[in-house]
Amino acid sequence: MSKPTADWERVGDRFYRKTQLYTSVFNPELELENYVVTGAPYSGAVALYRDEGKIYTYRGNQAAKSTIDIHSCAGKLIRQISWDKGRIKALGWSEDERLLVVTDDGTVRSYADLQGDFTPFSLGHGAEEHGVQACKFWTTGFVALLGNNSVIAVTRYEEPRPQLLASAPPGEVVSWTVIPPEYTSSRSVEVLLAIGKTVYVVDAAECEDRSLEAGPFRHINVSPNGKFIALYTEDSKVWVISSDFQDRFSEYESKVKTPPKDLQWCGNNAVVLAWEDELHLIGPNGAASKFYYDSFMHLLPDIDGIRVLTGDVCDFLQKVPDPTEEVFRLGSTSPASVLLDALEQLEKKSPKADDDIQLIKANLDEAVDVCVRAAGQEYSIHWQKQLLKSASFGKSVLDLYNSDDFVDMTEALRVLNAVRFYEVGIPLSYDQYIRLTPERLMQRLVNRQEYLLALKVSEYLHLPVDRIYVHWARQKVRSSSTDEESICEEIVRKLDGKRGISFEEVARAAYDEGRGKLATELLEHEPRAGKQVPLLLSVGEESIALDKAIESGDTDLVFFVLLNLKKKIPLSSFFRTINSRPVATSIVESSAIDQDRELLKDLYYQDDRRIDGSNLLVSEALSAPDMGAATDKLKMAAKLLRDSKEFAPQVAALEDAQKLTRFQEAFEKDLTERYVGLSVNETMSKLIKAGNMKRALRVQTEFKVPEKTYWWVRLRALVSRRDWRELEEMSKGRKSPIGWEPFYNEILGAGNTKIASLYIPKCTTLTVGERIEMWLKCGMLARAGEEALKAKDRNALEELRKQASGPALLDIERMITQLQKGR
Amino acid sequence: MAASQASQVINTQDITDKSRRDLLLLLEAVRGKKNLVIEKSLASIIGLFVKFSTLQEYGVDKLFFLENHNVDSSQRNIVFLARGDNARVVRTVAEQIRLVRSESKIDHDFTVIWVPRRTLVSNLVLEEHGVLGEANITELDLQFVPLEPDVLSLELEDCFSDLILRKDPTPIFAAARSLMGLQKQYGLFPRILGKGDNAKKLSDLLLRMRSEEDVNASSDPSNTYLTSFGLTPSSTIENLIIIDREVDFPTALATQLTYEGLLDEVFSVSHNQTEVDSSILGSAPAPSTQPQNGTSPAPTTATKRKVQLDSSDKLYPEIRNVNFATIGPLLNRTAKRLQSDQQNIHAPNQSISDLKSFVSKLPSYQAEQASLKIHTSLAEEISKFTKAETFRRVLEVEQTLLIGSEGSTVHENIEELIARDTPLPTMLRLLCLESTLSNGIRLRELDNFKRQILQAYGYQHLLTLTSLQKMGLLVPREANRGYLNPIAGSAGMGATDWNFVRQRLQLWVDEVEDEAGKDKDIAYVFSGYAPLSVRLVQAILQKSYLQTLATAGGAAVAPAATGAGWKGYDDVLARIKGATVDVVQKGNDTDASHARKTLRGNKEGPKTTIVFFVGGVTFAEIAALRFVGKQLEEASGRNLVIGTTGLISGKRVADVAIEKGTFGS
Repeated sequence: MSKPTADWERVGDRFYRKTQLYTSVFNPELELENYVVTGAPYSGAVALYRDEGKIYTYRGNQAAKSTIDIHSCAGKLIRQISWDKGRIKALGWSEDERLLVVTDDGTVRSYADLQGDFTPFSLGHGAEEHGVQACKFWTTGFVALLGNNSVIAVTRYEEPRPQLLASAPPGEVVSWTVIPPEYTSSRSVEVLLAIGKTVYVVDAAECEDRSLEAGPFRHINVSPNGKFIALYTEDSKVWVISSDFQDRFSEYESKVKTPPKDLQWCGNNAVVLAWEDELHLIGPNGAASKFYYDSFMHLLPDIDGIRVLTGDVCDFLQKVPDPTEEVFRLGSTSPASVLLDALEQLEKKSPKADDDIQLIKANLDEAVDVCVRAAGQEYSIHWQKQLLKSASFGKSVLDLYNSDDFVDMTEALRVLNAVRFYEVGIPLSYDQYIRLTPERLMQRLVNRQEYLLALKVSEYLHLPVDRIYVHWARQKVRSSSTDEESICEEIVRKLDGKRGISFEEVARAAYDEGRGKLATELLEHEPRAGKQVPLLLSVGEESIALDKAIESGDTDLVFFVLLNLKKKIPLSSFFRTINSRPVATSIVESSAIDQDRELLKDLYYQDDRRIDGSNLLVSEALSAPDMGAATDKLKMAAKLLRDSKEFAPQVAALEDAQKLTRFQEAFEKDLTERYVGLSVNETMSKLIKAGNMKRALRVQTEFKVPEKTYWWVRLRALVSRRDWRELEEMSKGRKSPIGWEPFYNEILGAGNTKIASLYIPKCTTLTVGERIEMWLKCGMLARAGEEALKAKDRNALEELRKQASGPALLDIERMITQLQKGR
Repeated sequence: MAASQASQVINTQDITDKSRRDLLLLLEAVRGKKNLVIEKSLASIIGLFVKFSTLQEYGVDKLFFLENHNVDSSQRNIVFLARGDNARVVRTVAEQIRLVRSESKIDHDFTVIWVPRRTLVSNLVLEEHGVLGEANITELDLQFVPLEPDVLSLELEDCFSDLILRKDPTPIFAAARSLMGLQKQYGLFPRILGKGDNAKKLSDLLLRMRSEEDVNASSDPSNTYLTSFGLTPSSTIENLIIIDREVDFPTALATQLTYEGLLDEVFSVSHNQTEVDSSILGSAPAPSTQPQNGTSPAPTTATKRKVQLDSSDKLYPEIRNVNFATIGPLLNRTAKRLQSDQQNIHAPNQSISDLKSFVSKLPSYQAEQASLKIHTSLAEEISKFTKAETFRRVLEVEQTLLIGSEGSTVHENIEELIARDTPLPTMLRLLCLESTLSNGIRLRELDNFKRQILQAYGYQHLLTLTSLQKMGLLVPREANRGYLNPIAGSAGMGATDWNFVRQRLQLWVDEVEDEAGKDKDIAYVFSGYAPLSVRLVQAILQKSYLQTLATAGGAAVAPAATGAGWKGYDDVLARIKGATVDVVQKGNDTDASHARKTLRGNKEGPKTTIVFFVGGVTFAEIAALRFVGKQLEEASGRNLVIGTTGLISGKRVADVAIEKGTFGS
């Protein structure tokens, strides 16, 4: 076994290593220099297409059909997309392995899940006239640069919404790059454009000149963590500065006349300069190292390193991870290194093993940790095993040790080794695996149709497997040519009883393939009613869709189906459909009240809901512009109800309403006061207040207003107009249907004690005590006394005496004596 | 206090923080300055958790109300914040986008934030108006708004009219979604109990959502894989009790007699705020009363002032739940205490340290004094209202009805009150109260009342009366034949047998105070009437208390009621209208639920009960439930959290039905 340090390279005080991942990657015939190559993040798929500019230069006219080829990192062809539409200006990946193809007229095609199906969208904002020059991609979006230096950003691929950023000054853009939104202080994407001697920073709101003077910059690139920028200056120097342009960290002079073909970051602490077959790795403080290749190479940067792809090999260049360095560095005396040595001694059955252990006893747990972590960074299975064995050995000596990390690492390594296998071709590093998450790794496996491996791994890691089954089923539906029945049967058999299977997705795949019947059949197995709805609508099963929507309880869905339904079928059958479904009816009603009263009228007519129909007319009458129109509406409302006895009171009320307006209009003519809009009682009250007793009385008789009500209205009206004369007159009356107490109360409330007191003697139904109280409220102590005297209530008189003063006191005392005498 | 305990289980602060964070994140996503167009009803809800100054920090320049149609083009970015589940609102948004686009000279960036979610219908409507491609569309999943640490409300303003009048189940769906959110966070409600048809619908929906959640969780790629193993029963929440407002209309209709309830009756409290004439409060507005007022940028007219009513106030938590009759002494005592504090300062020979400790207390002292001043003024205003003769008459009728003694005097009183032009909502409440308590009013009498209402208040109220009938609030007695209705099957009763229920659950308590003058039963909130809704909760949680109450009340001896759920009260439930719900939820994965229990190290089992009202809760009920919660906590350390679709009162109930238009206007 070769030493792990064999491919290490010292750059300054750090080590970098070049790991050979795969060999004989591409067909030797393929001339990689004629291709544009981009790789998806996290060791994802690699897309190639022939650079059209180069075809003409080197080969002249060639009639080859244009394609975009998607390969794994090991060179296995995953998919070939034939291309016949416009000039491709840029090709890029998102972090979920979505391939974006941008043509010069601003059309973008987005291929999800490594499939041949795409969703197109257009950049707009003048992309068509000025043409797309280039695009820069980050994990969740991209920015396009147009011929007129306009910059358009797309920040998401679900419902993409291209956004024009602030305009940049004119001039040739020598090089440019983007800082993804997650790393900027403004949380929106920032574009760095090297124009002339300086660099402009463009975001949604403004364009700012960073006033540099060492330009033009041939290359500019941002580190994966967004903190640093690498610039290649005109005098062939590489600068590394902070992304806010405040600090300069290092400078390196390449001493090469030809400017490099590419400049990329290798992790966050080194920059790679690439010429055709030469590669400079520049570490911190300007230290550098050179690598040479046999053939043309492409750089595929990733979060923790860079993949170098030539026609023959795929290498991974990265900084040697700290734990690895700690264990393997020549002459290392770290505990972990000693632990590894101990294992070797143990395998040789040498007693030195124990000496080693004793030596590092104090730091043993740390040593175990480092070994475990170093194992994760190893690509060679041999060394993974050695390191884990060391850890295990060290662990066995420790009394107390939490083995979780150890177990997790063994699991992770098993998964990593499985996916690194050349037939799968995902050379994930441990850090990438952690960043990618196991779930998304499963998605990638599924996209490569590695169903069995995905299932095995998922079960091993206790991940849900439903996505895998669903993907399989969708693929089955797409590709299988057998008859629909057996497809459905096979799918259901495989998927039945599995938790959380979304049949809706499978059904949608079937529908998209034009297999409507299969879609409906599959949909029946979908447990979520709501999810079935849109597809059911698509296949034209509206009434089932409606039922499912109601079942789901989501009124939005119900309403959505109803709106679709109404557009599609005649009104009469629409009503029939909703008639048997009360929820649907009430939703139609409640929405129609706001916007479509005619529909409501039809609905009520169809369902013979007369009261509702009539009420609709009443409410129209209320909003009618003039009384004539209102009366007409009221007439119609009454007519609707007339032939049924059941609604007699309603009809009577409607007729009364018309009658009332007639009266009121007449009053308005005679009295030039506004009456329309008042109620019967209010009309009477207003008439009385205006002194029109006769008219008020007529209203009373016409509308059969109860006597009691009329008296109340009259009393309150008189009090409010302070008609004391009339009220005094009334006190001479003999009978009142509401009794006399209200008179007393109302008048007293208005503050006239004199008139109020007139009614006290008339309140004969009340007790003496209450009447005394009433007199007192009017301030008539003497009269109160008389009341008490009449009732021969000595105690009440005594009470009164306490309150009395002046002449009243005399009166009271007189009465008390009188009472005593009378005894 | 119960409130503080409950907050430990369901962290309402978290909910508030999350809503605020989500909103600000969405605003931040729109770069630069922006104008915010917001639906009026949402503005005050948003105001509960974020200040206007904070919005300004996030680039909001001007604020417009959607309803005012006055958005200008002063900013390139225009952000709409509106309810996406209301087609009418969606249409308004679409129209305004179109308007601004056609009138403005600059190219605007529109963003629409739908609350609580982006709906299919909203897409459809925007598409019809040709603006779907114009706007960035995002959603703010605003669900429960914590009004207080123990009150979670959806604050759906139209909920009562949607549910009861229009029979539109949208609020039930919204409630289910929000409760599902709680389940996702705290685990499944181990037991769901409930009464009423809407309660049944809600619990069915919860069960359905739970089974769909399995599929949803796994088809959502962003979901962490732990949740996709299915939900397990909660170890902190014991029950969910769902009370359908339809089961207990009388409580909503009766006049609330707690301080907070009366504040609501007189001034209307919404989103913890009320508006009163500044003349009532006197001069010198105390700044401490409006700590969150910056959030509602509505220009308050000079004569109106907003008063914040929540537990951030010094005094309010103490007095909000007491019966109004006892508010005077309470305020008095506080005033005296404050006065003595003040005298202490003026006392001579104070040391510097005394002074220092006093100065440190000064702000809180001043806040309390300001609060005392406000509440004294408010209480005074309320007592003007309660001393009015009509109020006493109305209350008299109400209490007669609630006691259950039917008599012609009630009808005479009602007729007289109509003739005296008592406000219409009050009259409708009385009529509805009678109708709901006796399963309808005899047809002849009802027709008579209707005629008088129409004559007194106008014929436009034909619509009002029909609406009330539709809502089941004011119906002829023939329409439903009482609880012996043979059609009503197992699904539930068509009508409630109030006499039986009143006696069995002791809905009327004569003595609401013990010897020491302390309230001893929830009935204090209505000065004698114990709300049915809360009694139902007690039937689950306080069986023995209810038992003793019934025996003391001389009711027929009922079977001993022990055990969980509704046990022991099936006979009553059978005589109350609406379906009865009793569901036990178990986890899919028993291992996982065991594991969760062990992890919690909690042997005692869950202790929190959520009481959820479908269709709204009144302040009086909240007071009663807090009373129950306090007893529970003292007895067994359990506590209550109240959830609701919104707040309701008799006034609001009547308001839903009342036709606002008049002839010739």
